[in-house]
Amino acid sequence: MKKIIRNVAFGLVGLSVSAASVAGPEEDRQAFRKFYENRFPQVQPIGDFQNGVYSILPQAREQWEAIEEFPPYELAIEEGEKIFNKTFANGKSLKDCFGEDGAVREQYPHWNKERGMVMTMELAINECLEANGEKPLKYKKGAMAAVSAYMSYNSRGQSINVEIPSDDPRALAAYEDGKEHFYTKRGQLNFACADCHMHTSGMNYRSETVSPAFGHATNWPVYRAKWQEMGTLHRRFAGCHNNIRANPFKAQGEEYRNLEYFISYMSNGLEFNGPAARK
Amino acid sequence: MKHGLKSLALVALLGSSAAFAGGHGKSAAALIEEATAGYKQVSKETSYQWTVTVKTIKEAQKALDGGNEAEAKKLAQQALDLVEATRQQAQVESQNWKMRVPK
Repeated sequence: MKKIIRNVAFGLVGLSVSAASVAGPEEDRQAFRKFYENRFPQVQPIGDFQNGVYSILPQAREQWEAIEEFPPYELAIEEGEKIFNKTFANGKSLKDCFGEDGAVREQYPHWNKERGMVMTMELAINECLEANGEKPLKYKKGAMAAVSAYMSYNSRGQSINVEIPSDDPRALAAYEDGKEHFYTKRGQLNFACADCHMHTSGMNYRSETVSPAFGHATNWPVYRAKWQEMGTLHRRFAGCHNNIRANPFKAQGEEYRNLEYFISYMSNGLEFNGPAARK
Repeated sequence: MKHGLKSLALVALLGSSAAFAGGHGKSAAALIEEATAGYKQVSKETSYQWTVTVKTIKEAQKALDGGNEAEAKKLAQQALDLVEATRQQAQVESQNWKMRVPK
């Protein structure tokens, strides 16, 4: 049995090496975008991919648009605004880090050359809090999702413009790490992010249609009906990993930050439109 | 898609039929220890861990604690097979992910 498994495994590896991709980020992005343009030619204009699964499901979109008239994330925006404006013990507030209204979504994620790591908005929020003597927030939901919702709401209309600086090979390595994660099968169910959100996007798993990955980075945080509350992108990453029976990684750890870096770069040019409502 | 189904079938095979092989002559406690060590080793060497592995090890321990040696052995062997399947997945995927990148 073991011998058979080993032979099959090595055979698969051998097949794959010859097909290995060595394209750079921009070639990757063009091919990624083209894949979804070919798969969903009905999505016009291309920017409509920012609406996730609703860009490809006209009937569900009508219901979603009705939900968006009285959005379930409204309370989170209000809560987030209070937290954002709250004065710290040292007299400062999040405004001192992110400006008067926190409309800085377009600055994240970005490569921080000094620290050699990908910075996300949620990580920056916590670093601001800690730098001012405040307790950090939990990354997946609650107050963090609320602040993120407020800042994202004020950033609506900004475009994703992730850069991978060519003068720092570590940035490319982080991008490649996120790319590898996206295309790598994990968990007992043996799924990659790409299996669901690329190669079977638009198809149904039970009653749910799988959303295209192009545009995945635009609309966070979300109020998810399944959660009955707000959640961040890294919460969703962890949920996906649980679904495929893979141990999730730590929210805002290097793995998920690099994955965010990659999927955001793939959606460069699309508008931020978070927070959003999703099933 | 076909490749995905083949891989899925391979993993399913590893998770089921292999459970009936090996482990003879060892006690349930020894198999549980082996599975736990294997899980830790794969976790240390790769970023691949399956949620079901720890769950199965815990179930094996629970069966052993309840005095059900046969059930504990069966579950511990399943956990060992899951560890091996995880190791194989990590090995295969270290190169195979590149095939899925659109060109």
